[in-house]
Amino acid sequence: MVRENLSRRTVLKGIGAAGMVSVAGCTGGESGATIGMANSETGSLSTFGQRNARGLEIALSDINETGVLGGDLEVIVEDTQSDSGAGVSAAQKLVNQDSVPLVVGAVSSGVSLAIYKSVIQGTDVTQISQNSTSPALTNFPDLLRMSPTGAAQASALADIIDEDGHGKVAVTHLTNAYGEGVAEAFKNSYGGESKLFAHDQGKSSYSNVITSMADYDADAWLFVSYQPEFTTMAQEAFDAGHTDIPIYGSDSVKGPKVLEQSPSEITEGMTLVAPSAALDQENYKQFAKAFRENNDTEPTAWSAYAYDAVVTAAIAIEAAGSTEPADIKAEARGVTGPDGTEVFSFAEAVEALGDDGSASDVNYQGVSGPIDLDKNGDPRAFEQIFQVQDGKYVSQGFIAGE
Amino acid sequence: MSSLLQYFVNGLVFSSIIVLGSVGLSIVYSIADFANFAHGDTLTIGAYGALVALPTLSGIGGELLGLPLGFYGALLVGMALAAAVAVATELVIYRPLDTDAIGMLITSIGVAFVYRAVLQAGFGADFRSYGIERSGPIPGIESALGVTITERSVVMVVCALVLVVGLHALLQYTTLGRKMRAMSDNPELARVSGIRTDRVLLATWVVGAALAGAGGVFLGLSSSIDPRTGFDLLLVIFAAVILGGIGSVYGAMAGGFAIGMVHEFTPGLTEVGIPIGTDYATAVAFVIMVIILLVRPSGIAGREPT
Repeated sequence: MVRENLSRRTVLKGIGAAGMVSVAGCTGGESGATIGMANSETGSLSTFGQRNARGLEIALSDINETGVLGGDLEVIVEDTQSDSGAGVSAAQKLVNQDSVPLVVGAVSSGVSLAIYKSVIQGTDVTQISQNSTSPALTNFPDLLRMSPTGAAQASALADIIDEDGHGKVAVTHLTNAYGEGVAEAFKNSYGGESKLFAHDQGKSSYSNVITSMADYDADAWLFVSYQPEFTTMAQEAFDAGHTDIPIYGSDSVKGPKVLEQSPSEITEGMTLVAPSAALDQENYKQFAKAFRENNDTEPTAWSAYAYDAVVTAAIAIEAAGSTEPADIKAEARGVTGPDGTEVFSFAEAVEALGDDGSASDVNYQGVSGPIDLDKNGDPRAFEQIFQVQDGKYVSQGFIAGE
Repeated sequence: MSSLLQYFVNGLVFSSIIVLGSVGLSIVYSIADFANFAHGDTLTIGAYGALVALPTLSGIGGELLGLPLGFYGALLVGMALAAAVAVATELVIYRPLDTDAIGMLITSIGVAFVYRAVLQAGFGADFRSYGIERSGPIPGIESALGVTITERSVVMVVCALVLVVGLHALLQYTTLGRKMRAMSDNPELARVSGIRTDRVLLATWVVGAALAGAGGVFLGLSSSIDPRTGFDLLLVIFAAVILGGIGSVYGAMAGGFAIGMVHEFTPGLTEVGIPIGTDYATAVAFVIMVIILLVRPSGIAGREPT
């Protein structure tokens, strides 16, 4: 009887020990690290998602030349379908099933917020949004992002429209965190009269929006939308004969496909403001070169943000010295600056960190710019102004954030 | 006044797409006896069929109603492809499957995912346009009535009308149409009386899917398409079918027309003092659907339950 009891205990101990070993294996501590990425591979923002995937590829090859915690960095990518529901499922899979300590995600601000509120908040997992620009994300300090807030963009647009001499603006915006955030910020910083016209994502017709905007009889139209939605509206605006109204756009309606498929009578002369990468920096030039080699197109600021999100994650893991979520979370914000040695690549960061360095020892200068995440998790804004001339986006200069 | 007329024109154009979708869905429902959730993606297949056919067919010279003749060829290709895919799905998946209406419904959701995945794998997730040059509003109508309407909108409305009238003639005046109606009324009785129900079922799929394919091609003609286009429209199409009285082809026509009109007339609500934005257009359409169903539970043209 006693014997049997003892042997049962031994067995239980054995199982316990085996369990601990397997758990230890899961959380790492050995070598290498695994993080998650929730990306818009499909849906309205798929053009962003595809370029992010290229940015991720380049980031991984740069990082794994040096290695993270003595091994490889692996990134498990899940598709958000540019949709909150699918995005939350993707993040749940990454956090609960794959047990990643850090999630890079998402593209859409609405999806980023949905993921933060239903999966990340209250845990030690770090979330870094690669492309979200809604001013609403500023209210969630632990939700970090690489792309600047749209509030900076909105005030730049308000200034430009004002300088161009327009006193009455019809603004059409998406009914999501990004669209409402930027449109509200515009309304607040614009001196003249303006009215907001909301539109939903993914509809096959927006002629009701175009007709009601035409009824408002504005001097200029501002589109805070996504590429497919804007293209549909541009086509419908042309069909309805509104070719002489000056139009303006947020960054997310800018893309080569848009110019290809929209009537040039509408898009010619259009002015846009878009976040810009650090075009003059050496590390950006290398990133751009790698990007052109893998693909035959120029990178966008968005793909640079995705690259920086992954590199920042890798530096944070290296600074933490473990894959414990809480340790990584403590380092993630600080590695982007403004304190510490300026480093321009993952390899330089590892060198600056040495054996027991922490966040305050490095100041990562990303391919997208200085980053320097503030207490709200927002980076320093750097915006570029574009105008469509002869069917191409031509740069009109830069506006730097404070 | 002119803006009201403009909403009406917009509604007419949008309705023609919804009507083509809802009529197809309804006829399949009444004869194959299940709610086909793959119907939206059948629309998308038609749209992509035309997209593929257009470059080869655009060599054909000549114009009809302001559009190149090649487009009408592409329209036929899109319709044929949608019909072929639907028939193949019926033969390979739906027919061998021995399950009830709910089982079929769930299966069709799976089929919808497969359709979409194949399109996405083949064409990518990006949005695309047909690249037929747009001509802007017809000047004569704009100066006379103050509304803007393009030649392609006219083509869409006219083609939709022709297809719907054609379907009416098919159902009322042909043997196949009589068999379809017999089968929709009572499938067992139809079979005992010597109708080859299998063949009628295939014909139904051809008709329903071809109409959906035409709707998809018109979607591509009016703006741009991506692999989700049809699926995003499916809910509105279902609303139209239910509003019209599920299973009734004529009801689906009326329902599609009503839903399309309500959708495009939403900005008019703000003008009469009801502050509802255009982003709620779909919601308003659904509210109207619920109100009509409360008054007439079987839908506009539905049969009273016996």
